[in-house]
Amino acid sequence: MTNTSRHTFRITGVIAALLTLASCASNPPTCPSPQSRNLDSAIGSVKSSLNSGCQAHFDRFYDDLLVIAEGDPKPENKREFSEFLVWSSEQGLLSTRQAQDYYNRYFNVKFMSMRGDYNNCSHTCPNKQKVLFDMERELSDKERGLLKVSMDADAYYRADRLYQEVELVLEATCFACAASR
Amino acid sequence: MNPSLASFCAATANRSHSRRSFAGAMTLSLVVAMIVAVPAQAANTPTIRLFPTTVVEDLRQTGNVARDMETGLQDVIGRLDQQQQLYQESKCDGAENDTGCQRLARQIGASYLEMLTVMEERLPDMEHTVNNTRVSLEKGLRNELGKKMTPWTLQETLLGKVSATGEASATAPSLRGRSGMRLSERFKQYYQLVATSGSRGDQSLAVLASDIYLDMEETSTLIERTRQEIARATLMEQLNQSFGIITPEMMEVVGGVKSILFGDEESRALVAGPPPGSLEQAYRSPLEQ
Repeated sequence: MTNTSRHTFRITGVIAALLTLASCASNPPTCPSPQSRNLDSAIGSVKSSLNSGCQAHFDRFYDDLLVIAEGDPKPENKREFSEFLVWSSEQGLLSTRQAQDYYNRYFNVKFMSMRGDYNNCSHTCPNKQKVLFDMERELSDKERGLLKVSMDADAYYRADRLYQEVELVLEATCFACAASR
Repeated sequence: MNPSLASFCAATANRSHSRRSFAGAMTLSLVVAMIVAVPAQAANTPTIRLFPTTVVEDLRQTGNVARDMETGLQDVIGRLDQQQQLYQESKCDGAENDTGCQRLARQIGASYLEMLTVMEERLPDMEHTVNNTRVSLEKGLRNELGKKMTPWTLQETLLGKVSATGEASATAPSLRGRSGMRLSERFKQYYQLVATSGSRGDQSLAVLASDIYLDMEETSTLIERTRQEIARATLMEQLNQSFGIITPEMMEVVGGVKSILFGDEESRALVAGPPPGSLEQAYRSPLEQ
């Protein structure tokens, strides 16, 4: 065998080895969005994807599920989402706190933006504008979860009114807090 | 002439529209709430002391002072209306050099001066009682809602505690926005709301206290500015008397005073807000907070 043919043979061998190794490596998951328009089936599909290494796509999946639920709004959807989030928490995909955030932000009247451990004068008032801005954004998520997904208009209207009441009460309270300084 | 006077009248009458437009129909719901709402709820919620007896008394006193001011101004404003009507019917607009029109203009100016004088006499009392109410409420809001509550507890207070069955309190929110109402009537309503507050939920009280406080704060500022400007306005009008001039500001101020004291017909058409949510939920998630 000449030197050239030996060299060619060696290169071919290396390429073949690399191709073999590449074929042995696991393919990255494609993580497709659920195709079904049925919420139950879609949740099943998402669960399967999440179990197959698509945890990083949780936000997108959650949004996909909301879009699907908007197509068939009904009060029971609230339970479906709750159960899905409890499952996600049990699987270790979400912490309990994250699961609560995902649920309450969309399906509860109360605002997660109003969570805080310090008193209003010292903590909320200095950040009043940000708190109200966050609440406004959360209100639009509640519109989606309560109104468009769960058809719970009463709860959404209550959340809307709560937002306006908080705005008024914070304005007065923060003014009173500032007056003492 | 006097921008502060105009702003006192016009701004007080109009200021609450943006902040309070959603709550027009709350009057009815409030009355219903006062009758229907209450009992079981009150036992579960922490009591907040936003309306000590001093505030109740201050509100009553402010209402009385406002009523006295209305009584004092009613005659002179009625006379101003008649004089203005006569002025217009006599086609004096554009005929300021006419002797008769000049005489009419002076009469209007004199009535206007009289109105300013009555206001000047009554405003110190008004300012005093409004300030008392404001200071008491300020203390209550700062301590009860500002220092003793976190944002989460404040939210829960406003929302009312949800019972174990998932049904929320039936207590309706409070009334907001009182444009189009006599000043004395407005304080009378405040007084009645506060005086019966013992039978109402804390969530309504927090809103009510905030509403009254902001109202008092603004009223107090406007009264202060108005008092500062009355002397200047009086001087200007005395000068105008020499020439028999009616300025547009004068009519604007009179209109403003009428709207704040006796109500504004246009603003009486209160717009209904969304129906209060019953919060009756078929499902309660274990994740719900």
